[in-house]
Amino acid sequence: MDYTFWTIAPIVLLPFFAFVINAFIVKKFTKTAVAISTGAIFVSFLYALRIFSDFMNVYSVGYHIHKVFNWFDLSTGAHVYKINMGIYIDNMTAVMLLMVTAVATLIHVFSTWYMHDDARFGRFFVYMSLFTSAMLGLVLSDNLLSVFIFWELMGFCSYSLIGFYYEKEGAGNASMKAFMTTRVGDVFFLVGILAIWSVVGSANYIDIYNAIAAGKFNNLTIGMFSVGVPLATFAAFSIFMGTMGKSAQVPLHVWLPDAMFGPTPCSALIHAATMVAAGVYLSLRMYPLMEAGHLTTFIAYIGAITAFGAATIALIQTDIKAVLAYSTISQLGYMVLGIGVGSYNASFMHLITHAVFKACLFLSAGSVIHSIHCQEMPQMGGLRKKLPYTFLAMLLCCFAIAGVPFFSGFVSKDRILGDALALALTDPKFIPVALLGFGGALLTAFYMFRMLFLTFFGEARDHHIYDHAHQEHIGWNSNVPLLILSVFTLGLFYSGSFTGQGEVNLFGSKYEWFNTLIHKPDAHSLPHFADYKKEELGAVDTREKLELPKAAYDATHGLSEHEAHRVHVIHQVGALASILIAFFGIFLAYSMYVKKSINPDWWAQAFPRWRTALKNKYYFDELYINKIIQKGMIPFNNALAWFDMGVFDRFAVDGWATVNRYLYNVARWFDNNVIDSAMVDGTGASVRLMNVVLRTVQSGKIQLYFMVLIVVLASYIWTLRF
Amino acid sequence: MINLGTYLGISFALFICGIFVMIARKNIIAILLGIELILNAAALNFAAYSKFVNGNLDGHIMSLFIIVIAAAEAAVGLGIVIRFFQLRESIHIDDAASLQN
Repeated sequence: MDYTFWTIAPIVLLPFFAFVINAFIVKKFTKTAVAISTGAIFVSFLYALRIFSDFMNVYSVGYHIHKVFNWFDLSTGAHVYKINMGIYIDNMTAVMLLMVTAVATLIHVFSTWYMHDDARFGRFFVYMSLFTSAMLGLVLSDNLLSVFIFWELMGFCSYSLIGFYYEKEGAGNASMKAFMTTRVGDVFFLVGILAIWSVVGSANYIDIYNAIAAGKFNNLTIGMFSVGVPLATFAAFSIFMGTMGKSAQVPLHVWLPDAMFGPTPCSALIHAATMVAAGVYLSLRMYPLMEAGHLTTFIAYIGAITAFGAATIALIQTDIKAVLAYSTISQLGYMVLGIGVGSYNASFMHLITHAVFKACLFLSAGSVIHSIHCQEMPQMGGLRKKLPYTFLAMLLCCFAIAGVPFFSGFVSKDRILGDALALALTDPKFIPVALLGFGGALLTAFYMFRMLFLTFFGEARDHHIYDHAHQEHIGWNSNVPLLILSVFTLGLFYSGSFTGQGEVNLFGSKYEWFNTLIHKPDAHSLPHFADYKKEELGAVDTREKLELPKAAYDATHGLSEHEAHRVHVIHQVGALASILIAFFGIFLAYSMYVKKSINPDWWAQAFPRWRTALKNKYYFDELYINKIIQKGMIPFNNALAWFDMGVFDRFAVDGWATVNRYLYNVARWFDNNVIDSAMVDGTGASVRLMNVVLRTVQSGKIQLYFMVLIVVLASYIWTLRF
Repeated sequence: MINLGTYLGISFALFICGIFVMIARKNIIAILLGIELILNAAALNFAAYSKFVNGNLDGHIMSLFIIVIAAAEAAVGLGIVIRFFQLRESIHIDDAASLQN
């Protein structure tokens, strides 16, 4: 397959042009706009599928496409300073492209049903197109600078979509909160890019990898001080702050639960394919930097705290979307935890599997909300009979997220937990990480099935709502997208092999396609990136299959047979533990909400303080509003305002005005007396004087002229006398 | 004894008279007469030089030309004066100070 600009760029450009066109026609031709948006994302899905299938055909770890063009050139003389943009596709990008376009397509299709009686039906699709194209642009980018551009574009789109129902006060506040909270991370991200640029001189992934492999960070000194590692830590931390903002990690997670104010399909897009995935994707891309900056322990702890903390908050939520929102934060915590413990492949796999089942869960929730016009789970119950297809989809997704074997969530999450366990057994400082991870898995299984049981099982608690719900029928844009997504919650798709070059292993092994193709850029494989080649954007593609030594990417590389065996055993133990934990969580939820053998209220009364803390979401919002904003930011703002008014305004601005007033008086005097009086009026006066003289001479009295003539002639003749 | 100096003296007297008439008189016809006097002074000069210095008839011929031109000029001048009189009902020279009609 040939890779030119026109076989790659449409993936981004089609949704983007759909956005541009729809922005103009959406008011008059709403139906057309919806069709354009959905069609555009579907066609870009076909393009992504083409690339993905090519990568599956080649089936090589080092296969990549890297096309570069010069964006602008700031070179002066000897200093070459080129800002390049480019497209970089490797196995990871190909998988991401397929996931984003596929999930976005299904969400678009679902939205045509879910949003069709909304007053701003068309506008929703305008934003969705821009959102998807921004995410695809981010995935295709080859450098942090263009990543940042698309990153901010997504921030704007999430702002618009969360505040989509702007009549509600909460929606406006939520959109602002999302924008502001992620901005905190974005500022750090930009600082991180600059820090990297100061060392590497480029923001390109491959350049950064090569710089790290060449030890540029380690060997950096200022004078006699070695500043490389602190700088790498700083850069890694700043980049990771960007991830924390975008991927809703503690303590910047507060925006994500509020993001459910947006329409449900947009929540599906934010929580699955685009916004939050971008943060994890960035951290995965910058993994070598995280390692060089020795930040992985910090990352693992942030991920573990997020995974567990969000899961505990999800336990008592009654809003169906709130449960899903906190489960998203929790699952993102697992991905970040995976990055922290070096479980690169599994973390990325969890990103993909989570995107699929979380999109499905949100669309199912949307289907429920659309049919009963209510989001509160205590008012639901027994909807299994009314919404059988939605129930089926949601059941499969709950199995996946809870980590039931043979489902996708098990394959990915179990591997993360296994790696965390293996690391904890060698390095005691990771023990809390592993414990929080397993604890979170228990809670995940519990709260997901609590949601499922409260929604679909038992008797209808609110008969008015139940009786008004319509019986669900198969509809191509109402529940077919859910069912398609729910099929892909099967673990087979992620732990199997498409090409016969691996082996199908439902419990996950190092031979499955994910593990074979996605390679961790760590110390073993980093030197190989020096062989990666860049091409001009317009160049004709002459790529051949690039085979790199597989040993470089083998997870067990460098381990002795004994150690490898030990890791394998630990993974099996971890898998067993997480299966037991998942079933225990499901059993707990079953006994509480279906069989009612355990009374949940008793637990609530037994731990009142915990319940209050959970109800208040660990007081994060209060902390931010009351402490940081009221006590910190507002006094700080006031101090700045005082400085601005009292010092800057008074002395600099007003002082400058006073100086100017004096200068102006001098200038006015000069202008009045010298320029105006002497020069301008002086010219006039001299002309008038000449005028008086000449006017008297020009009398028209011919005899006078004659006399003058005679006198002049006579005096001339008089001079000739001699 | 009549020599060149006598002629020149008469010629000079005529010339001065012409100048004086041109400057002092306000009547346009009188000024034209002054011009005639000046022309005649010039013609007399030509004739005198021709007789006493050159010895041929060149100066005489020039004098004849001057007389013809003087006649033509007087005709034109009087024409202008008549036209002017029709316009202003005056032949006072100071009425001709304006360039407007």
